[in-house]
Amino acid sequence: MRLPDYYEYCCRVKIVAGHEVLEEIPALLARLHAGRPMIITDPGVAAAGLLDVVTGALKDRIAIGAVADAVPPDSDLQAVSRLARVYGEKGCDAIIAVGGGSVMDTAKGVNVLVSEGGEDLLAFTGAGALKKRLKPLVAVPTTAGTGSEVTLVAVIADHENNRKIPFTSYFLLPDVAVVDSRMTLTLPDSITAQTAMDALCHAVEAYTCLAKNPVSDACALEAISLIAGNLLQVVENPGHRDGRLALATAATLAGMAFSNAMVGMVHTLGHSVGAVCRVPHGTCMAILLPYGLEYNMHKNGDEAGELLYALAGEAEFIRTPRDQRAQQTVARIRALNQALHEATGARHPRTLGEVRDRDGKALVPRGKLADIARVAQGDASIFYNPEELDVDDLLMVLEAAWAGLPLDPQRIKRG
Amino acid sequence: MNDFRKITPGGRPFTRIYLNVMLWFVGRAIQAAARQDPAVKREFAQLPEGFTFTLTAAPDGPSMVVSKDETGRVTYLGRRPANHPLNVKLTLKHMEGLFLLFTFRESTATATARDRLYVEGSLAEACAVVRILDIVQVYLLPKPVARLAVKRYPRWSFKRHAWDRTLVLLRTVLGV
Repeated sequence: MRLPDYYEYCCRVKIVAGHEVLEEIPALLARLHAGRPMIITDPGVAAAGLLDVVTGALKDRIAIGAVADAVPPDSDLQAVSRLARVYGEKGCDAIIAVGGGSVMDTAKGVNVLVSEGGEDLLAFTGAGALKKRLKPLVAVPTTAGTGSEVTLVAVIADHENNRKIPFTSYFLLPDVAVVDSRMTLTLPDSITAQTAMDALCHAVEAYTCLAKNPVSDACALEAISLIAGNLLQVVENPGHRDGRLALATAATLAGMAFSNAMVGMVHTLGHSVGAVCRVPHGTCMAILLPYGLEYNMHKNGDEAGELLYALAGEAEFIRTPRDQRAQQTVARIRALNQALHEATGARHPRTLGEVRDRDGKALVPRGKLADIARVAQGDASIFYNPEELDVDDLLMVLEAAWAGLPLDPQRIKRG
Repeated sequence: MNDFRKITPGGRPFTRIYLNVMLWFVGRAIQAAARQDPAVKREFAQLPEGFTFTLTAAPDGPSMVVSKDETGRVTYLGRRPANHPLNVKLTLKHMEGLFLLFTFRESTATATARDRLYVEGSLAEACAVVRILDIVQVYLLPKPVARLAVKRYPRWSFKRHAWDRTLVLLRTVLGV
Protein backbone atom coordinates (compact mmCIF):
# COMPACT_ATOMS: atom_id res chain seq x y z
CA MET A 1 0.00 0.00 0.00
CA ARG A 2 1.35 3.42 -1.01
CA LEU A 3 1.39 5.86 1.91
CA PRO A 4 0.82 9.52 1.06
CA ASP A 5 3.34 12.06 2.39
CA TYR A 6 0.43 13.87 4.00
CA TYR A 7 -3.20 13.13 4.60
CA GLU A 8 -6.17 14.25 6.70
CA TYR A 9 -9.06 12.13 7.93
CA CYS A 10 -12.00 13.07 10.14
CA CYS A 11 -15.26 11.29 10.89
CA ARG A 12 -16.87 12.29 14.18
CA VAL A 13 -20.14 10.46 13.64
CA LYS A 14 -21.21 7.80 16.12
CA ILE A 15 -22.53 4.85 14.14
CA VAL A 16 -25.23 2.64 15.61
CA ALA A 17 -26.15 -0.21 13.25
CA GLY A 18 -28.22 -3.36 13.41
CA HIS A 19 -31.59 -4.93 12.74
CA GLU A 20 -33.55 -3.05 15.43
CA VAL A 21 -31.62 0.03 16.44
CA LEU A 22 -34.18 2.81 15.90
CA GLU A 23 -35.27 2.08 19.47
CA GLU A 24 -31.88 3.40 20.65
CA ILE A 25 -32.60 6.94 19.40
CA PRO A 26 -34.25 8.30 22.62
CA ALA A 27 -31.26 7.20 24.71
CA LEU A 28 -28.84 8.57 22.12
CA LEU A 29 -30.64 11.94 22.15
CA ALA A 30 -30.70 11.99 25.95
CA ARG A 31 -26.92 11.67 25.94
CA LEU A 32 -26.87 14.73 23.68
CA HIS A 33 -29.14 16.55 26.18
CA ALA A 34 -32.10 16.60 23.80
CA GLY A 35 -35.59 15.21 24.26
CA ARG A 36 -37.95 16.85 21.75
CA PRO A 37 -36.77 16.12 18.20
CA MET A 38 -38.20 17.29 14.90
CA ILE A 39 -38.41 14.51 12.29
CA ILE A 40 -37.58 15.59 8.74
CA THR A 41 -38.42 13.22 5.89
CA ASP A 42 -39.95 13.13 2.41
CA PRO A 43 -43.29 11.93 1.00
CA GLY A 44 -41.72 8.80 -0.52
CA VAL A 45 -40.39 7.64 2.83
CA ALA A 46 -43.76 8.34 4.46
CA ALA A 47 -45.67 6.52 1.70
CA ALA A 48 -43.39 3.48 2.03
CA GLY A 49 -44.41 3.24 5.71
CA LEU A 50 -40.89 3.93 6.96
CA LEU A 51 -41.93 7.03 8.88
CA ASP A 52 -44.41 4.87 10.79
CA VAL A 53 -41.61 2.43 11.63
CA VAL A 54 -39.53 5.30 13.04
CA THR A 55 -42.33 6.98 14.98
CA GLY A 56 -43.48 3.56 16.22
CA ALA A 57 -40.01 2.92 17.61
CA LEU A 58 -39.88 6.32 19.34
CA LYS A 59 -43.31 7.47 20.36
CA ASP A 60 -43.67 5.75 23.72
CA ARG A 61 -40.29 6.96 24.89
CA ILE A 62 -39.85 10.49 23.62
CA ALA A 63 -41.98 13.49 22.61
CA ILE A 64 -41.72 14.26 18.90
CA GLY A 65 -41.98 18.03 18.52
CA ALA A 66 -42.87 18.07 14.83
CA VAL A 67 -42.96 15.76 11.83
CA ALA A 68 -42.10 17.41 8.51
CA ASP A 69 -42.79 14.81 5.84
CA ALA A 70 -42.91 16.91 2.66
CA VAL A 71 -39.27 17.59 1.81
CA PRO A 72 -39.11 17.86 -2.01
CA PRO A 73 -36.53 15.82 -3.97
CA ASP A 74 -34.60 18.99 -4.83
CA SER A 75 -34.88 20.88 -1.56
CA ASP A 76 -34.18 24.61 -1.67
CA LEU A 77 -33.42 27.62 0.54
CA GLN A 78 -37.11 28.42 1.05
CA ALA A 79 -37.89 24.88 2.22
CA VAL A 80 -35.00 25.03 4.67
CA SER A 81 -36.14 28.40 6.07
CA ARG A 82 -39.73 27.19 6.42
CA LEU A 83 -38.68 24.07 8.34
CA ALA A 84 -36.38 26.11 10.58
CA ARG A 85 -39.35 28.30 11.55
CA VAL A 86 -41.43 25.21 12.36
CA TYR A 87 -38.58 23.87 14.51
CA GLY A 88 -38.62 27.07 16.58
CA GLU A 89 -42.41 27.35 16.83
CA LYS A 90 -42.74 23.75 18.05
CA GLY A 91 -39.99 24.08 20.63
CA CYS A 92 -37.80 21.30 19.22
CA ASP A 93 -34.26 20.72 20.44
CA ALA A 94 -32.87 18.16 17.95
CA ILE A 95 -33.40 16.85 14.41
CA ILE A 96 -33.94 13.29 13.19
CA ALA A 97 -33.45 13.08 9.42
CA VAL A 98 -35.07 10.01 7.86
CA GLY A 99 -34.37 9.59 4.16
CA GLY A 100 -31.81 9.77 1.38
CA GLY A 101 -29.42 12.48 0.26
CA SER A 102 -31.98 15.27 -0.21
CA VAL A 103 -33.53 14.81 3.23
CA MET A 104 -30.09 14.69 4.87
CA ASP A 105 -28.98 17.85 3.07
CA THR A 106 -32.20 19.63 4.04
CA ALA A 107 -31.82 18.58 7.67
CA LYS A 108 -28.24 19.83 7.72
CA GLY A 109 -29.39 23.18 6.28
CA VAL A 110 -32.19 23.44 8.86
CA ASN A 111 -29.71 22.63 11.59
CA VAL A 112 -27.50 25.54 10.52
CA LEU A 113 -30.39 28.02 10.79
CA VAL A 114 -31.83 26.73 14.07
CA SER A 115 -28.37 26.62 15.68
CA GLU A 116 -26.89 29.84 14.32
CA GLY A 117 -30.11 31.86 14.12
CA GLY A 118 -31.40 33.95 11.24
CA GLU A 119 -33.34 32.98 8.14
CA ASP A 120 -30.70 33.37 5.45
CA LEU A 121 -28.75 30.18 4.86
CA LEU A 122 -26.57 31.99 2.31
CA ALA A 123 -24.92 33.82 5.20
CA PHE A 124 -23.24 30.51 6.08
CA THR A 125 -21.58 29.67 2.77
CA GLY A 126 -17.82 29.69 2.42
CA ALA A 127 -14.98 28.12 4.33
CA GLY A 128 -15.07 28.66 8.07
CA ALA A 129 -18.53 30.28 8.11
CA LEU A 130 -19.73 27.81 10.76
CA LYS A 131 -17.78 28.24 13.96
CA LYS A 132 -19.62 26.26 16.62
CA ARG A 133 -21.29 22.95 17.27
CA LEU A 134 -24.86 22.72 15.93
CA LYS A 135 -27.98 21.16 17.51
CA PRO A 136 -28.05 17.35 17.83
CA LEU A 137 -28.69 15.69 14.46
CA VAL A 138 -29.53 11.99 14.11
CA ALA A 139 -29.37 10.61 10.56
CA VAL A 140 -31.43 7.56 9.64
CA PRO A 141 -30.62 6.55 6.03
CA THR A 142 -33.38 4.87 4.01
CA THR A 143 -31.18 3.93 1.05
CA ALA A 144 -27.90 2.06 1.15
CA GLY A 145 -25.98 4.34 -1.16
CA THR A 146 -25.32 8.03 -0.58
CA GLY A 147 -23.47 7.79 2.72
CA SER A 148 -24.85 11.25 3.60
CA GLU A 149 -25.24 10.10 7.20
CA VAL A 150 -21.46 10.43 7.61
CA THR A 151 -20.59 13.28 5.25
CA LEU A 152 -19.86 16.92 6.02
CA VAL A 153 -21.48 18.36 2.91
CA ALA A 154 -24.97 19.68 2.24
CA VAL A 155 -26.08 20.80 -1.21
CA ILE A 156 -29.12 23.09 -1.20
CA ALA A 157 -30.79 24.42 -4.34
CA ASP A 158 -31.31 28.13 -4.91
CA HIS A 159 -34.18 27.94 -7.40
CA GLU A 160 -34.48 31.72 -7.70
CA ASN A 161 -30.96 31.93 -9.12
CA ASN A 162 -30.99 28.46 -10.72
CA ARG A 163 -27.95 27.15 -8.87
CA LYS A 164 -26.95 24.60 -6.25
CA ILE A 165 -25.03 25.81 -3.24
CA PRO A 166 -22.59 23.47 -1.48
CA PHE A 167 -22.06 23.91 2.27
CA THR A 168 -19.04 22.18 3.76
CA SER A 169 -18.10 22.07 7.42
CA TYR A 170 -17.20 19.49 10.04
CA PHE A 171 -20.07 20.97 12.05
CA LEU A 172 -22.49 19.62 9.43
CA LEU A 173 -21.59 16.04 10.32
CA PRO A 174 -24.52 14.34 12.05
CA ASP A 175 -23.93 13.40 15.68
CA VAL A 176 -25.27 9.88 15.18
CA ALA A 177 -25.97 7.68 12.15
CA VAL A 178 -28.61 5.09 12.96
CA VAL A 179 -28.33 2.35 10.34
CA ASP A 180 -31.30 0.01 10.71
CA SER A 181 -31.92 -2.80 8.21
CA ARG A 182 -35.71 -2.22 8.41
CA MET A 183 -35.25 1.08 6.60
CA THR A 184 -34.07 -0.56 3.35
CA LEU A 185 -36.09 -3.81 3.40
CA THR A 186 -38.77 -2.48 1.05
CA LEU A 187 -36.48 -0.89 -1.54
CA PRO A 188 -37.32 -2.15 -5.07
CA ASP A 189 -34.64 -4.29 -6.75
CA SER A 190 -33.55 -1.67 -9.29
CA ILE A 191 -33.18 1.03 -6.60
CA THR A 192 -31.24 -1.42 -4.42
CA ALA A 193 -28.91 -2.05 -7.36
CA GLN A 194 -28.46 1.64 -8.23
CA THR A 195 -27.81 2.79 -4.69
CA ALA A 196 -25.40 -0.03 -3.91
CA MET A 197 -23.48 0.73 -7.11
CA ASP A 198 -23.34 4.36 -5.97
CA ALA A 199 -21.75 3.18 -2.72
CA LEU A 200 -19.39 0.88 -4.65
CA CYS A 201 -18.37 3.85 -6.75
CA HIS A 202 -17.68 5.96 -3.64
CA ALA A 203 -15.43 3.23 -2.28
CA VAL A 204 -13.61 2.51 -5.56
CA GLU A 205 -12.95 6.17 -6.33
CA ALA A 206 -11.90 6.88 -2.74
CA TYR A 207 -9.34 4.06 -3.07
CA THR A 208 -8.03 5.00 -6.51
CA CYS A 209 -8.09 8.82 -6.67
CA LEU A 210 -5.61 11.46 -5.55
CA ALA A 211 -6.74 12.03 -1.95
CA LYS A 212 -6.60 8.36 -0.94
CA ASN A 213 -5.23 7.68 2.51
CA PRO A 214 -4.80 4.59 4.70
CA VAL A 215 -7.86 5.24 6.89
CA SER A 216 -10.17 5.83 3.94
CA ASP A 217 -8.63 2.84 2.20
CA ALA A 218 -9.58 0.54 5.08
CA CYS A 219 -13.19 1.72 4.95
CA ALA A 220 -13.29 1.49 1.16
CA LEU A 221 -11.97 -2.07 0.99
CA GLU A 222 -14.46 -3.33 3.56
CA ALA A 223 -17.31 -1.54 1.78
CA ILE A 224 -16.35 -3.14 -1.55
CA SER A 225 -16.12 -6.56 0.02
CA LEU A 226 -19.58 -6.22 1.63
CA ILE A 227 -21.20 -5.02 -1.60
CA ALA A 228 -19.57 -7.68 -3.75
CA GLY A 229 -20.62 -10.38 -1.30
CA ASN A 230 -24.23 -9.28 -0.78
CA LEU A 231 -25.65 -7.15 -3.58
CA LEU A 232 -26.83 -9.87 -5.97
CA GLN A 233 -28.23 -11.94 -3.11
CA VAL A 234 -30.28 -8.99 -1.86
CA VAL A 235 -31.55 -8.08 -5.34
CA GLU A 236 -32.69 -11.65 -5.82
CA ASN A 237 -34.04 -11.96 -2.27
CA PRO A 238 -35.13 -8.45 -1.08
CA GLY A 239 -36.16 -9.68 2.38
CA HIS A 240 -32.61 -10.85 3.19
CA ARG A 241 -32.14 -8.84 6.43
CA ASP A 242 -28.48 -9.64 6.96
CA GLY A 243 -27.74 -8.76 3.35
CA ARG A 244 -29.65 -5.48 3.74
CA LEU A 245 -27.65 -4.62 6.85
CA ALA A 246 -24.42 -5.50 5.03
CA LEU A 247 -25.28 -3.14 2.16
CA ALA A 248 -26.32 -0.35 4.53
CA THR A 249 -23.08 -0.79 6.47
CA ALA A 250 -21.13 -0.76 3.21
CA ALA A 251 -22.79 2.51 2.18
CA THR A 252 -21.83 4.09 5.52
CA LEU A 253 -18.24 2.83 5.22
CA ALA A 254 -18.05 4.10 1.64
CA GLY A 255 -19.37 7.46 2.88
CA MET A 256 -16.62 7.56 5.51
CA ALA A 257 -14.08 6.79 2.79
CA PHE A 258 -15.16 9.24 0.11
CA SER A 259 -15.98 12.15 2.40
CA ASN A 260 -12.27 12.17 3.25
CA ALA A 261 -10.62 10.81 0.10
CA MET A 262 -13.12 12.40 -2.30
CA VAL A 263 -14.11 11.05 -5.71
CA GLY A 264 -12.94 11.46 -9.30
CA MET A 265 -14.07 11.38 -12.91
CA VAL A 266 -16.91 8.86 -12.48
CA HIS A 267 -18.63 11.47 -10.33
CA THR A 268 -17.46 14.31 -12.59
CA LEU A 269 -19.31 12.69 -15.48
CA GLY A 270 -22.12 11.25 -13.40
CA HIS A 271 -23.07 14.61 -11.88
CA SER A 272 -23.16 16.11 -15.36
CA VAL A 273 -25.23 13.30 -16.93
CA GLY A 274 -27.65 13.78 -14.02
CA ALA A 275 -27.75 17.57 -14.43
CA VAL A 276 -28.22 17.56 -18.22
CA CYS A 277 -30.42 14.48 -18.69
CA ARG A 278 -32.01 13.89 -15.26
CA VAL A 279 -30.63 10.36 -14.95
CA PRO A 280 -30.64 8.93 -11.39
CA HIS A 281 -27.22 9.31 -9.79
CA GLY A 282 -26.73 5.61 -8.98
CA THR A 283 -27.49 4.60 -12.56
CA CYS A 284 -24.81 6.97 -13.84
CA MET A 285 -22.33 5.60 -11.30
CA ALA A 286 -22.96 1.96 -12.25
CA ILE A 287 -22.51 2.64 -15.95
CA LEU A 288 -19.48 4.94 -15.68
CA LEU A 289 -17.46 3.17 -12.98
CA PRO A 290 -15.63 0.73 -15.32
CA TYR A 291 -14.72 3.63 -17.60
CA GLY A 292 -13.21 5.66 -14.77
CA LEU A 293 -10.97 2.73 -13.90
CA GLU A 294 -10.00 2.11 -17.54
CA TYR A 295 -9.21 5.77 -18.20
CA ASN A 296 -6.93 6.14 -15.17
CA MET A 297 -5.37 2.68 -15.34
CA HIS A 298 -1.96 3.87 -16.59
CA LYS A 299 -1.75 6.05 -13.46
CA ASN A 300 -3.43 3.97 -10.76
CA GLY A 301 -3.44 0.43 -12.15
CA ASP A 302 -1.78 -0.94 -9.01
CA GLU A 303 -4.56 0.42 -6.79
CA ALA A 304 -7.26 -0.79 -9.18
CA GLY A 305 -5.62 -4.23 -9.16
CA GLU A 306 -5.62 -4.33 -5.36
CA LEU A 307 -9.41 -3.97 -5.41
CA LEU A 308 -9.75 -7.38 -7.03
CA TYR A 309 -9.19 -9.02 -3.64
CA ALA A 310 -12.18 -7.24 -2.12
CA LEU A 311 -14.33 -7.70 -5.22
CA ALA A 312 -13.63 -11.31 -6.11
CA GLY A 313 -11.96 -12.90 -3.13
CA GLU A 314 -8.59 -14.45 -2.39
CA ALA A 315 -8.69 -17.33 -4.89
CA GLU A 316 -9.30 -15.16 -7.95
CA PHE A 317 -6.84 -12.54 -6.72
CA ILE A 318 -4.07 -15.13 -6.45
CA ARG A 319 -5.02 -16.81 -9.71
CA THR A 320 -4.84 -13.54 -11.66
CA PRO A 321 -1.34 -12.41 -12.69
CA ARG A 322 -0.40 -9.13 -11.05
CA ASP A 323 -0.30 -7.17 -14.32
CA GLN A 324 -3.83 -8.31 -15.23
CA ARG A 325 -5.54 -7.58 -11.91
CA ALA A 326 -6.64 -4.05 -12.81
CA GLN A 327 -8.30 -5.26 -16.03
CA GLN A 328 -9.90 -8.09 -14.07
CA THR A 329 -11.29 -5.57 -11.57
CA VAL A 330 -12.94 -3.75 -14.46
CA ALA A 331 -14.23 -7.04 -15.88
CA ARG A 332 -15.68 -7.97 -12.47
CA ILE A 333 -17.58 -4.66 -12.22
CA ARG A 334 -18.91 -5.08 -15.78
CA ALA A 335 -19.99 -8.62 -14.89
CA LEU A 336 -21.77 -7.31 -11.78
CA ASN A 337 -23.65 -4.75 -13.90
CA GLN A 338 -24.62 -7.52 -16.34
CA ALA A 339 -25.84 -9.76 -13.50
CA LEU A 340 -27.89 -6.88 -12.04
CA HIS A 341 -29.34 -6.17 -15.49
CA GLU A 342 -30.55 -9.75 -15.69
CA ALA A 343 -31.71 -9.98 -12.06
CA THR A 344 -33.80 -6.80 -12.33
CA GLY A 345 -35.49 -7.70 -15.62
CA ALA A 346 -33.36 -5.14 -17.54
CA ARG A 347 -34.28 -2.27 -15.17
CA HIS A 348 -30.57 -1.83 -14.39
CA PRO A 349 -29.10 -0.26 -17.56
CA ARG A 350 -25.58 -1.18 -18.67
CA THR A 351 -24.95 1.72 -21.04
CA LEU A 352 -25.99 5.37 -21.24
CA GLY A 353 -27.83 4.50 -24.46
CA GLU A 354 -29.98 2.01 -22.53
CA VAL A 355 -31.21 4.50 -19.90
CA ARG A 356 -34.95 5.03 -20.33
CA ASP A 357 -37.65 6.93 -18.45
CA ARG A 358 -40.90 5.29 -17.30
CA ASP A 359 -42.42 5.76 -20.74
CA GLY A 360 -39.51 4.01 -22.42
CA LYS A 361 -38.06 7.22 -23.89
CA ALA A 362 -34.25 7.44 -24.09
CA LEU A 363 -33.01 9.79 -21.36
CA VAL A 364 -29.51 10.33 -22.79
CA PRO A 365 -29.73 11.19 -26.49
CA ARG A 366 -26.35 10.86 -28.19
CA GLY A 367 -26.60 14.50 -29.26
CA LYS A 368 -26.46 15.59 -25.60
CA LEU A 369 -23.03 14.07 -24.93
CA ALA A 370 -21.14 17.21 -25.96
CA ASP A 371 -23.24 19.30 -23.54
CA ILE A 372 -22.56 16.80 -20.76
CA ALA A 373 -18.80 16.97 -21.44
CA ARG A 374 -18.86 20.78 -21.25
CA VAL A 375 -20.79 20.78 -17.96
CA ALA A 376 -18.41 18.17 -16.54
CA GLN A 377 -15.47 20.55 -16.92
CA GLY A 378 -16.95 22.63 -14.11
CA ASP A 379 -17.38 19.82 -11.57
CA ALA A 380 -14.95 20.06 -8.67
CA SER A 381 -14.44 16.29 -8.43
CA ILE A 382 -12.29 16.60 -11.57
CA PHE A 383 -9.51 17.96 -9.29
CA TYR A 384 -9.17 14.60 -7.56
CA ASN A 385 -8.96 12.46 -10.69
CA PRO A 386 -5.46 11.06 -11.26
CA GLU A 387 -5.36 11.86 -14.99
CA GLU A 388 -6.18 15.13 -16.70
CA LEU A 389 -9.50 15.39 -18.54
CA ASP A 390 -10.21 17.95 -21.23
CA VAL A 391 -13.48 18.22 -23.15
CA ASP A 392 -12.28 15.78 -25.84
CA ASP A 393 -11.32 13.19 -23.20
CA LEU A 394 -14.68 13.52 -21.45
CA LEU A 395 -16.52 13.15 -24.76
CA MET A 396 -14.49 10.08 -25.70
CA VAL A 397 -15.44 8.40 -22.40
CA LEU A 398 -19.10 9.39 -22.76
CA GLU A 399 -19.26 8.03 -26.34
CA ALA A 400 -17.87 4.69 -25.16
CA ALA A 401 -20.24 4.55 -22.16
CA TRP A 402 -23.19 5.42 -24.41
CA ALA A 403 -22.42 2.55 -26.77
CA GLY A 404 -21.23 0.13 -24.06
CA LEU A 405 -17.79 -0.33 -25.62
CA PRO A 406 -14.58 -0.55 -23.61
CA LEU A 407 -12.19 2.41 -23.89
CA ASP A 408 -9.57 2.20 -26.60
CA PRO A 409 -6.26 2.51 -24.67
CA GLN A 410 -4.65 4.12 -27.75
CA ARG A 411 -7.02 7.08 -27.44
CA ILE A 412 -6.15 7.84 -23.81
CA LYS A 413 -3.67 10.72 -23.86
CA ARG A 414 -0.60 10.50 -21.65
CA GLY A 415 1.65 13.40 -20.71
CA MET B 1 10.65 33.14 34.66
CA ASN B 2 13.57 32.50 32.32
CA ASP B 3 12.68 28.79 32.48
CA PHE B 4 9.66 29.50 30.31
CA ARG B 5 10.96 30.93 27.09
CA LYS B 6 8.68 32.66 24.66
CA ILE B 7 8.72 31.83 20.95
CA THR B 8 7.71 34.61 18.59
CA PRO B 9 6.82 33.63 15.02
CA GLY B 10 9.40 34.88 12.56
CA GLY B 11 7.04 35.49 9.66
CA ARG B 12 9.42 33.81 7.19
CA PRO B 13 10.41 36.99 5.35
CA PHE B 14 12.40 35.30 2.57
CA THR B 15 9.55 32.90 1.77
CA ARG B 16 7.19 35.85 1.68
CA ILE B 17 9.45 37.79 -0.68
CA TYR B 18 9.86 34.75 -2.97
CA LEU B 19 6.11 34.16 -3.09
CA ASN B 20 5.36 37.83 -3.74
CA VAL B 21 7.75 37.78 -6.70
CA MET B 22 6.30 34.52 -8.05
CA LEU B 23 2.71 35.71 -7.71
CA TRP B 24 3.58 39.01 -9.39
CA PHE B 25 5.14 37.07 -12.27
CA VAL B 26 2.31 34.53 -12.59
CA GLY B 27 -0.32 37.28 -12.38
CA ARG B 28 1.30 39.15 -15.26
CA ALA B 29 1.73 35.86 -17.15
CA ILE B 30 -2.00 35.19 -16.87
CA GLN B 31 -2.64 38.65 -18.28
CA ALA B 32 -0.18 37.93 -21.12
CA ALA B 33 -1.56 34.45 -21.87
CA ALA B 34 -5.10 35.85 -21.99
CA ARG B 35 -3.97 38.05 -24.87
CA GLN B 36 -1.87 35.43 -26.66
CA ASP B 37 -3.08 31.88 -26.05
CA PRO B 38 -6.30 30.67 -27.70
CA ALA B 39 -7.16 28.19 -24.92
CA VAL B 40 -6.74 30.81 -22.18
CA LYS B 41 -8.79 33.27 -24.27
CA ARG B 42 -11.55 30.64 -24.53
CA GLU B 43 -11.52 30.01 -20.79
CA PHE B 44 -11.82 33.73 -19.98
CA ALA B 45 -14.48 34.20 -22.67
CA GLN B 46 -16.74 31.81 -20.75
CA LEU B 47 -16.31 33.68 -17.46
CA PRO B 48 -18.69 36.55 -16.67
CA GLU B 49 -17.85 40.21 -17.26
CA GLY B 50 -16.10 41.72 -14.27
CA PHE B 51 -14.94 38.28 -13.12
CA THR B 52 -12.20 38.61 -10.53
CA PHE B 53 -10.24 35.93 -8.76
CA THR B 54 -7.47 35.78 -6.22
CA LEU B 55 -4.87 33.23 -5.26
CA THR B 56 -3.65 33.71 -1.71
CA ALA B 57 -2.49 32.07 1.50
CA ALA B 58 -4.33 32.30 4.82
CA PRO B 59 -4.42 34.16 7.06
CA ASP B 60 -2.58 37.11 5.57
CA GLY B 61 -0.16 35.66 3.07
CA PRO B 62 0.99 36.91 -0.31
CA SER B 63 -1.72 37.13 -2.95
CA MET B 64 -2.48 38.10 -6.51
CA VAL B 65 -5.70 39.36 -8.06
CA VAL B 66 -6.66 39.02 -11.73
CA SER B 67 -9.79 40.49 -13.28
CA LYS B 68 -11.66 40.52 -16.58
CA ASP B 69 -13.32 43.85 -17.35
CA GLU B 70 -16.54 44.61 -19.27
CA THR B 71 -14.66 44.62 -22.59
CA GLY B 72 -13.21 41.16 -21.90
CA ARG B 73 -9.70 42.50 -21.22
CA VAL B 74 -7.84 40.54 -18.55
CA THR B 75 -5.65 42.49 -16.15
CA TYR B 76 -3.39 41.63 -13.25
CA LEU B 77 -4.54 43.99 -10.51
CA GLY B 78 -1.70 43.51 -8.09
CA ARG B 79 -1.54 42.03 -4.63
CA ARG B 80 -4.72 43.12 -2.93
CA PRO B 81 -6.67 45.97 -4.55
CA ALA B 82 -9.08 47.61 -2.14
CA ASN B 83 -12.84 47.29 -2.60
CA HIS B 84 -12.64 44.88 -5.51
CA PRO B 85 -15.34 42.21 -5.17
CA LEU B 86 -14.07 38.67 -5.73
CA ASN B 87 -15.93 35.94 -7.65
CA VAL B 88 -13.50 33.17 -6.78
CA LYS B 89 -11.01 32.98 -3.95
CA LEU B 90 -8.42 30.19 -4.01
CA THR B 91 -6.80 30.04 -0.59
CA LEU B 92 -3.92 27.89 0.56
CA LYS B 93 -4.37 27.08 4.24
CA HIS B 94 -0.95 28.57 5.04
CA MET B 95 2.04 30.17 3.38
CA GLU B 96 3.95 26.87 3.44
CA GLY B 97 1.27 25.37 1.16
CA LEU B 98 1.68 28.23 -1.29
CA PHE B 99 5.45 27.76 -1.10
CA LEU B 100 5.09 24.05 -1.96
CA LEU B 101 2.93 25.05 -4.93
CA PHE B 102 5.33 27.68 -6.23
CA THR B 103 8.45 25.61 -5.71
CA PHE B 104 6.66 23.01 -7.84
CA ARG B 105 6.88 20.27 -5.24
CA GLU B 106 3.09 20.02 -5.26
CA SER B 107 0.69 20.47 -8.15
CA THR B 108 -2.61 22.30 -7.72
CA ALA B 109 -4.34 18.92 -7.81
CA THR B 110 -2.10 17.50 -5.09
CA ALA B 111 -2.57 20.60 -2.93
CA THR B 112 -6.33 20.13 -3.26
CA ALA B 113 -6.11 16.42 -2.52
CA ARG B 114 -4.09 17.18 0.62
CA ASP B 115 -6.70 19.63 1.86
CA ARG B 116 -4.31 22.56 1.55
CA LEU B 117 -6.35 24.49 -1.00
CA TYR B 118 -9.91 25.60 -0.54
CA VAL B 119 -12.23 27.45 -2.81
CA GLU B 120 -14.79 30.14 -2.13
CA GLY B 121 -17.16 31.06 -4.93
CA SER B 122 -18.42 29.14 -7.94
CA LEU B 123 -16.70 25.77 -8.27
CA ALA B 124 -17.23 25.74 -12.04
CA GLU B 125 -15.41 29.08 -12.31
CA ALA B 126 -12.68 27.84 -9.96
CA CYS B 127 -12.16 24.85 -12.30
CA ALA B 128 -11.64 27.30 -15.19
CA VAL B 129 -9.12 29.28 -13.11
CA VAL B 130 -7.15 26.11 -12.34
CA ARG B 131 -7.08 25.18 -16.05
CA ILE B 132 -5.76 28.68 -16.82
CA LEU B 133 -3.08 28.38 -14.12
CA ASP B 134 -2.03 25.01 -15.55
CA ILE B 135 -1.60 26.45 -19.05
CA VAL B 136 0.35 29.42 -17.73
CA GLN B 137 2.66 27.12 -15.77
CA VAL B 138 3.38 25.16 -18.95
CA TYR B 139 4.32 28.43 -20.65
CA LEU B 140 6.55 29.63 -17.84
CA LEU B 141 8.34 26.47 -16.79
CA PRO B 142 10.76 24.12 -18.52
CA LYS B 143 9.16 20.77 -19.33
CA PRO B 144 10.75 18.71 -16.50
CA VAL B 145 9.50 21.23 -13.92
CA ALA B 146 6.12 21.80 -15.55
CA ARG B 147 5.47 18.04 -15.47
CA LEU B 148 5.56 18.25 -11.68
CA ALA B 149 3.07 21.12 -11.68
CA VAL B 150 0.39 19.70 -13.99
CA LYS B 151 -1.26 16.28 -14.22
CA ARG B 152 -0.52 15.82 -17.91
CA TYR B 153 2.03 17.76 -19.91
CA PRO B 154 0.13 18.87 -23.01
CA ARG B 155 1.05 18.02 -26.59
CA TRP B 156 1.18 21.46 -28.15
CA SER B 157 2.18 22.44 -31.67
CA PHE B 158 5.73 23.64 -32.24
CA LYS B 159 4.37 27.16 -32.87
CA ARG B 160 2.61 27.20 -29.51
CA HIS B 161 5.63 25.82 -27.68
CA ALA B 162 8.12 28.17 -29.30
CA TRP B 163 6.51 31.29 -30.73
CA ASP B 164 3.56 31.71 -28.36
CA ARG B 165 5.75 30.94 -25.35
CA THR B 166 8.25 33.61 -26.42
CA LEU B 167 5.46 36.16 -26.79
CA VAL B 168 3.85 35.23 -23.48
CA LEU B 169 7.21 35.60 -21.71
CA LEU B 170 7.88 38.93 -23.43
CA ARG B 171 4.42 40.25 -22.60
CA THR B 172 4.86 39.08 -19.00
CA VAL B 173 8.12 40.93 -18.57
CA LEU B 174 6.90 44.07 -20.35
CA GLY B 175 3.42 43.94 -18.81
CA VAL B 176 1.61 44.40 -22.12
